[in-house]
Amino acid sequence: MTKNISPSELYEKMLKDENITIIDLRSPDKFKNHKIEGKDNFRILNIYYAQMIETGDIDKDMKNYITKNLSNAISKDQPIYVICSEGGTSEIFARNLSELGYDVYNVVGGMKEWFNYYDYKTVIETPELSIYQVSRISRGDLSWIIISNKEATIIDPLRHIEKYTDFINQKGAKIKFILDTHAHADHISSGPKLSKILNVPYYLHPYDAIHPIDMIPGKLNFEYLKDGDVFNLGSAKIEVIHVPGHTLGNVVFLLNGKYLFTGDTIFILSVARPDLGGRGETWAPLQAESLYKLTQLPDETIVLPAHFSKISEANDQGLYIEKLGNLKKTNDALDLLITKGKEEFIRFMLSSLPVFPPQYVEIKRVNAGLIEVDDEKADELETGKNVCALSQAYV
Amino acid sequence: MNYDVMLDVRGLNCPMPIVKTKQELNKVESGKILKVLTTDKGSIKDFQGWANTDKTIELIKQETEKDENGKEIYVHYVKKK
Repeated sequence: MTKNISPSELYEKMLKDENITIIDLRSPDKFKNHKIEGKDNFRILNIYYAQMIETGDIDKDMKNYITKNLSNAISKDQPIYVICSEGGTSEIFARNLSELGYDVYNVVGGMKEWFNYYDYKTVIETPELSIYQVSRISRGDLSWIIISNKEATIIDPLRHIEKYTDFINQKGAKIKFILDTHAHADHISSGPKLSKILNVPYYLHPYDAIHPIDMIPGKLNFEYLKDGDVFNLGSAKIEVIHVPGHTLGNVVFLLNGKYLFTGDTIFILSVARPDLGGRGETWAPLQAESLYKLTQLPDETIVLPAHFSKISEANDQGLYIEKLGNLKKTNDALDLLITKGKEEFIRFMLSSLPVFPPQYVEIKRVNAGLIEVDDEKADELETGKNVCALSQAYV
Repeated sequence: MNYDVMLDVRGLNCPMPIVKTKQELNKVESGKILKVLTTDKGSIKDFQGWANTDKTIELIKQETEKDENGKEIYVHYVKKK
C-alpha cells in the first residue's frame, strides 16, 4: 500500500534530521532550478521518470527500471520519499516501489505543494506579547506575526495573504498595520495587498519606494517610515532603526528593546548582500556601517531575520533565531567585521557575491507597484531559493 | 506544419502524455514526426525537459490551439531521430 506524506510532515522529519532519501522524478532542468534541501542525514536522487519508459506499460517499465538501476542506490530497510511536479507520477512510482517491497511515501501534491507550503512556529505566546515565525520553507523566506493584546502586525509578509489573515483570525486578533523592512528583490510582498483589503496602513521607508535600477518612483499606497519612529501595538513598542546597505531604505524593527527583526541585514549564517540594487560598490560601505551599528546592540538581543539559507540554521524549536551575542561569534561575516574592521569586511563582501538572478529586477518592479503579475507569473518569478545572503551561505 | 502520425492524449495528466508519446514512437520509423495533442498545461515544460535529456527525439515545435469550445490545446511536434 502506498503511504502519503504531507509537506509539513516531511519538513518536521527534516528538522529532526531523520534519515531521509527522496527520489525526485522531475526532469533534470526542473530539478536543477529548485529542489528540496535538508540536513546531514538527507539525501536526494534525481531520477527522471521519462527515462524509465520503454514499452509504454508504465507499471512494468517502472518496476524494470527499479530492479535494474535502483536496487544498489536505495534500501528496503529505510523509508523512501517520492516526489514529482504535482504528485501524479510520484503516486504511480511509489506504488510500484511499494509492490517491490520498499517502504515508500508519496509526497502529496508534489513540488507544487512544497513550493507554497508555509510553516508556523511560536517564538513566545502570552497575552501581552506573542511572536510567530511564518516561513515559506522551500524558498528560505521568513516573516513574523506579532500580537499584543489582540492587536497584530506582520513584518515582511510573503505573497500568500490568507496564510496570515487566517492565522491571525484564529488567534482572535486584528491587524493594525503592516511593516516591510525593505523593498524585497527575491519575493513578492503582500504588504500593499493586505493594506488595501484590510484598510490598514502599510509602512515602508520612502527610499525603497523608488526602483533602484529603473530609477523611477514606484506606484504604491504606503506610509513613510523613518529612523526613530515608534509604533504602539497593544502594550508593545516597536522602534525603527534605519540601516541602509542591502537597500537604501532598509530598516530593522526593535520590539520591546529585545527582539530585533533584521530583515535582510543580519542572517543566522551570513549577512545580506549589498548589490541587489545594482550599486554594490557604492552600497557596500553603507552596509558595513549599518551592520556595525547593529552589533553595538546588547548581546542579549534576539535576532529574527527575513531569510535562512539552510534548514540546519533552525534551533531545536524549528526557529531561525539567535542571540546577537552568539551570532557575533558564530556568524563568519559578523565575526570578520568585528575583528578585522570595515575596510576588510567591504572587500570580503564584494568578493562574496552570488550570481545576480535577473528576475530580481522584475520582482522589485512588482513590489514597487510598477507592474502587476498573476499567480502563475509570480510562481515563475519566485522559483528557487532566495539568494539574498553572501555566497558563503550557500556553500 | 507537416506530421506523420497524430496522437490525441487530451484529458490525460502527467506522466501519461510522455508515456503515450514514447509508446507511439516505438511504432514508427526514424525521421517520422508525431503531432501530440494535450490539455495538461504542464506538458509544455515536460516535453521541453524530456527533449533536453532524450537524444533519440527532437522537439520541433510547440504551439497552442483552441478546440471548438475555446478550450486550449497544447500541441507538440516530436520527431524520432
